[in-house]
Amino acid sequence: MLIEIENLSVTFTAQGRHVRAVENVSLSVKAKESFGLVGESGSGKSTILRAICGLAPISGGSIRINGKPITHNRAFSRKVQMVFQDPYASLHPRHTIDRTLSEPLAIHGLPLTDQAITKALTDVGLPANFRFRYPHQLSGGQRQRVAIARALMLQPEILLLDEPTSALDASVQAETLNLLSRLRQERGLTFLMVSHDLAVIDHMCDRILVMQHGRAVEELSREALATAQMTTPYARSLFAASADRMLEG
Amino acid sequence: MSLLSVKNLRVTFDTEAGRVEAVRGVSFTLDRERLGIVGESGSGKTMTGRSVLRLIRPPGKIEADEMTFDGIDLLRASESQMRSLRGPRIAMVMQDPKYSLNPVMKVGAQLTEGLRQRDKVSKADAIAKAIDALNAVQIRDPQRVMEAYPHELSGGMGQRVMIAMMLIPNPDLLIADEPTSALDVTVQAEVLSILDNLVKTRGMGLIFISHDLRLVARFCDRVLVMYKGKVVEELAAKDLMHAKHPYTQGLLNCLPRIGGSREPLPSLDRDASWAL
Repeated sequence: MLIEIENLSVTFTAQGRHVRAVENVSLSVKAKESFGLVGESGSGKSTILRAICGLAPISGGSIRINGKPITHNRAFSRKVQMVFQDPYASLHPRHTIDRTLSEPLAIHGLPLTDQAITKALTDVGLPANFRFRYPHQLSGGQRQRVAIARALMLQPEILLLDEPTSALDASVQAETLNLLSRLRQERGLTFLMVSHDLAVIDHMCDRILVMQHGRAVEELSREALATAQMTTPYARSLFAASADRMLEG
Repeated sequence: MSLLSVKNLRVTFDTEAGRVEAVRGVSFTLDRERLGIVGESGSGKTMTGRSVLRLIRPPGKIEADEMTFDGIDLLRASESQMRSLRGPRIAMVMQDPKYSLNPVMKVGAQLTEGLRQRDKVSKADAIAKAIDALNAVQIRDPQRVMEAYPHELSGGMGQRVMIAMMLIPNPDLLIADEPTSALDVTVQAEVLSILDNLVKTRGMGLIFISHDLRLVARFCDRVLVMYKGKVVEELAAKDLMHAKHPYTQGLLNCLPRIGGSREPLPSLDRDASWAL
């Protein structure tokens, strides 16, 4: 197993109040697999990704990658990268695309070449002359491509995807999902992906975990999802609410 | 006579970079029914909705051959006439509660402001009406919500507060701009059933603006599909899945489906002639 999460709990404390965002969730992801997390907002699915990156406090349980407990150092960021939901908020508005893409290389002391930046852009289907633009000169879909390019600069093995297409139009969503699938195939990436859209998760993932109120409700294979073989009432209701996303809609 | 009639609506912006035509000749009529306007970002659907309330700031200009609401000529109405229409007769629910509610005013104060200022209702009556409105949108603990600031509410609650606010004056026409796109599927279903109920029981007209074709197909009676400022197709919502126009078909085809194949999703090949 590449990623092993065991009994993970995340508790936020504010003004003496404890909010248990994630409670005792376990999951494991094989190398080169694509694993999906679904649930309504507040179900803790994004918090799990943030806990892996060190952006949320882990209050219990463990996260191991390649069998080793994670430490958030530079070696970790070369292995694991994240793409955030909102491409309008996740790129620095006053940095050019060139600077955004160069920064990971500079931090890690890797050779910073023109070629590395132009290749990163063409790999995600953007023209090389976008290099000296600012985020506000790009559309939402183009920005999300830049965010994906940035995540891939350090050649990670694992990509954490937090609702990567929910801010995009249907046609742009299709292009972005196709791009992600192609990159996964070409580079042998492992995906851990969060979405509230069952159809997107079904298209992208081999296995899914349904979450509610910070707890794991049910794990399903792709086949079980397509044939509606869920056993818990919540997973069933989520499936029923997505009835218009079925193949014969 | 229909409730709202719009003929050949054009919205243009004269910018330094040249003239931008956001809406190019849109015509439609609306009775007490649910009309959906769908399209991608930049298709002009929001601008169409805002034009009806003349909520377009300079340098934007609204032109039309006709734009009448219940016999009132919206193009020639004075600014004070428009003010008296906005709210009591035509209301609009904006897209994002985070940006549309006043962050430093309690929900209760925002809900009662219109009643107190416009209708000169007494404070106690205004509060009672506001609580009724919150109940109508199925907020469980209206007393607590009245005393809360917008940041203390979840997205779904904020959206319902905005709908409640628009419903207090009992408008004849509600324009809802992506009222559910910030919400989860389950909460989305709740908000839609609230809107649906209001259309049925109060006999309201509803313009429902969304980029989500499946949602519109399920929820509306009639649908306008917009592309680059024009209506490319108008059809009954139940026929949306069998749309004729290649743009509408393309939009439907590029959606992933549960149980679909893992092949790359078809991309939308835009034809220059659609925009003509």
